[in-house]
Amino acid sequence: MAEAALQTQFAGRIEGGIDAIVLGAGADGLAAAAYLGKAGFTTVLLETGAEIGGVIQSREFAPGQLCTDGEHLIFALDPIAIEDLDLYRFGVSYASRRLETAYFFDDGRMFPLGGDLQGAANILPDEDLVARLSAFVRDVFELAVYLRPAFANPAAEVLEKVFAAAPSALARRLLRYGFAPATDVLDTMLPDGPVKTAMMSEACFRSAAPPDEAFSFMNLVRRWAGEASGLQGANAYPEGGAAGVINALRRSAQAAGVDIRAATPIKSILIEWDRAAGVELEGGGQIRAPIIVAAQNARRVFMDLIGPTGIGIDFQRAIAAAPPKIATGRLHLALKGVARDEKTKANMRRRLMYAPRTDALRLAFADARAGNIPEAMTIEAVFPSAFDAGAAEKMHVFSIMAHPLPADETVDDARREEITKAILRNLEKFAPSIEQRIAAVDLRLPSDFADAADSKTMAAKPGVLRQWTLAGAATTAANISGLYFCGPEAQIGAGLSCAAGRVAAKAAIRSAKRGVIAL
Amino acid sequence: MIFPAADIVVEAPRATPLYAAAASVSDANLWTSVNGWSAPRIFTSVEAEYKAAKTHAAIADLGPLARYAVRGGDAAHFLARVTTAPAMRLKSGESARGLILDDLGGVIDLAEVSRLSEELFLLTTPTAHSRRLQLAARGLNAVAEDISADVAALGVFGPDAGDALAAAGLKTPGANVATSAMVRGVETAARPIQFGALSGVELIFPKLEALTVWERLQRRAGLAPIGLDALEILRIEAGAPRPGVDFLSAERTGSKNTRTPSEIGLAHLAPIDRGWFNGRRGLRYLAPSPSRGLVTLSIDSEIAAPGETVLAGGKPVGRLTSCALSPALKRIVAFADVSRATHGKDYEISLSPPDQELVGAKLLKTAESALASAYMGAQREATDSRR
Repeated sequence: MAEAALQTQFAGRIEGGIDAIVLGAGADGLAAAAYLGKAGFTTVLLETGAEIGGVIQSREFAPGQLCTDGEHLIFALDPIAIEDLDLYRFGVSYASRRLETAYFFDDGRMFPLGGDLQGAANILPDEDLVARLSAFVRDVFELAVYLRPAFANPAAEVLEKVFAAAPSALARRLLRYGFAPATDVLDTMLPDGPVKTAMMSEACFRSAAPPDEAFSFMNLVRRWAGEASGLQGANAYPEGGAAGVINALRRSAQAAGVDIRAATPIKSILIEWDRAAGVELEGGGQIRAPIIVAAQNARRVFMDLIGPTGIGIDFQRAIAAAPPKIATGRLHLALKGVARDEKTKANMRRRLMYAPRTDALRLAFADARAGNIPEAMTIEAVFPSAFDAGAAEKMHVFSIMAHPLPADETVDDARREEITKAILRNLEKFAPSIEQRIAAVDLRLPSDFADAADSKTMAAKPGVLRQWTLAGAATTAANISGLYFCGPEAQIGAGLSCAAGRVAAKAAIRSAKRGVIAL
Repeated sequence: MIFPAADIVVEAPRATPLYAAAASVSDANLWTSVNGWSAPRIFTSVEAEYKAAKTHAAIADLGPLARYAVRGGDAAHFLARVTTAPAMRLKSGESARGLILDDLGGVIDLAEVSRLSEELFLLTTPTAHSRRLQLAARGLNAVAEDISADVAALGVFGPDAGDALAAAGLKTPGANVATSAMVRGVETAARPIQFGALSGVELIFPKLEALTVWERLQRRAGLAPIGLDALEILRIEAGAPRPGVDFLSAERTGSKNTRTPSEIGLAHLAPIDRGWFNGRRGLRYLAPSPSRGLVTLSIDSEIAAPGETVLAGGKPVGRLTSCALSPALKRIVAFADVSRATHGKDYEISLSPPDQELVGAKLLKTAESALASAYMGAQREATDSRR
């Protein structure tokens, strides 16, 4: 009612005096808005939904039990954005900084790896394995650090520069690892056994590329290029989960003077003579600004808000290409009973990962691509309730990501139950009898997102090479002056990052300072 | 409309609807393949066909070109996006030339757009672009239907083209206006076309009518058929570059070999101050003075071949891309891809063995180069007045 009244109030009104409009209040939109605000630009952040945070939303999935959609761990939060936006001051803190990972295998074995991957190998009993794993981690880490600029900013010129300027040793490594299937690299670098199986699952986790597809190893390089709490390749659990990071970003943006307007749907982006000129609101009225930073998905921004007659045909082909037929499922379980002893509590403060055998993983990708629910799948699980103080009084919340799953367009109840059972079967490999403790189950799949475009965005990330191509094209924002894109397609790899928002906002600020955009 | 490069890998080209008629009057019986269709190179002699077109009128099978019927409420928007032709401004019956560009402004192909009614257009292109058209129509109320295989098309060129059509009892279009009608459920059209300095008419009709129409024109108007070899001379004299020969499609080549409209001498067909078309933003970001460009040359020789080196001041500056012996000029006319820094200078062509000599070459003023110069002049004036 109030929303309708507000829209009526603004209908036909043209609002000026604004330097920048940011579309979408996900992590990248908030980061971009904060950067622009800090640079002294009068910035308005417009969000279609009633809540900020994009796909990262906390909700009650069972009486008294909260879960957070989207990410459940931090492994790639942009360190530059953290510093520039003073995110620690605005509330980012970690309940656990260097999560140890416990890998489980189908033969019942378990293999722990410390949070600091560079020193993790030292705990292994076999000296040869220690040497080979250390060499492997060192090699991949060096390459990952070198490629960081290209992962953060996928613009074609950055990519070309990074590839052309690689010192010979790195260039050789780039050729060796960059274009190879994960199976080829891992077969060469690591002996058969649990370590290799674990790394294989890490390389394919949340990627649409199966282990024997060219370029699939790059997914692990991208993942290990990320940092959590200053430690490369590590995982961290932030206070309040991913929603805690969103809150810190919101505070940073508000402190920078950003005007955040939720429940403000956009009808179109105004393009005048190849320049961004503002937005037209769904309820009528316009907001004029020479800078628009779009942090929504590419299809929404370019196909719906700008329209096919305003974008290039080749670019349209890239953004309209069918998404991968692989998805990651999010399962939340409310578990009856609370751990009382310290040993169990310590175990619950780990990242738990079930790594199926490589042949089973390969089959899982083939199954998922064919639309079938795989028998085996990689599971990543954490207990948010073990980290959040006071969260577990009567129950624990178990947050699970399962990969790969088929990217169904629609999912009925029977299919949903089938998928849930398949995930639970894999979960049983390291959490036997868990089904008896389940009080509530909540499964989120890409098709659960009301917006079809969002649902496609939530599918698994395609191979890194395809991501680079698409991201490079999208970040040029179809050559529209004043329009900057930092939607999900601008980010290489999965995870909560904010790098795309930083790059887009800084590009806008640079253009304005150079006079390319007249404020 | 210009024929694209001949196919070299098609073993069994398809017969156009006019194939039987053309074959029956072909003494030379020399054929090639264009877009997978059979196309006659020579009927009697290149010189005779060339002269007939220049002095009287000649008839050509235009069946190998790609044709699309574009329908829908957004058909004009669609064509204004896909091509650089001003489709939005066309009134019923009007036609316009343009280019098909990629997002960065690289030339993919030539295009000709005719508006047959409010929501019906005819798009003709040298090569087929069904996939691109399908992609470009996403989100728009427009459908591009490939009618290449459903229609026959012939061109009548020459000063007497109009009289010839009238003598054959065929309805002729006005000077600038196409006419259309429904024949056997297929849109048919007659529209004025230009082939360099030669004006003409293109007739498009259901393929079942192909032989009837050809026969009428041959018998009643006494029109001589013209093959690709004679048309090639007329094309070069007119300064019209040939896709796949003088430049490669931006879709089929790397970015280094992509050519912009300005680089192929057709900047006037893609004016960046006009409304949106695909590639316009790319063109705005490009350097105003391209480093290379196509020029038309008149070579002091009756022998030259594509690929031969073009020299300026004794230094190699480019190469010939297509050549033909002009019966009117008694010398070779050619397209050359040369460095822009040498534009306007006298050139020499280094002939390959066995002739192996240097022959002089001069820029040839053509109908197309005159249009390009006029456009560039207007652009300069507009820029100067803005300053």
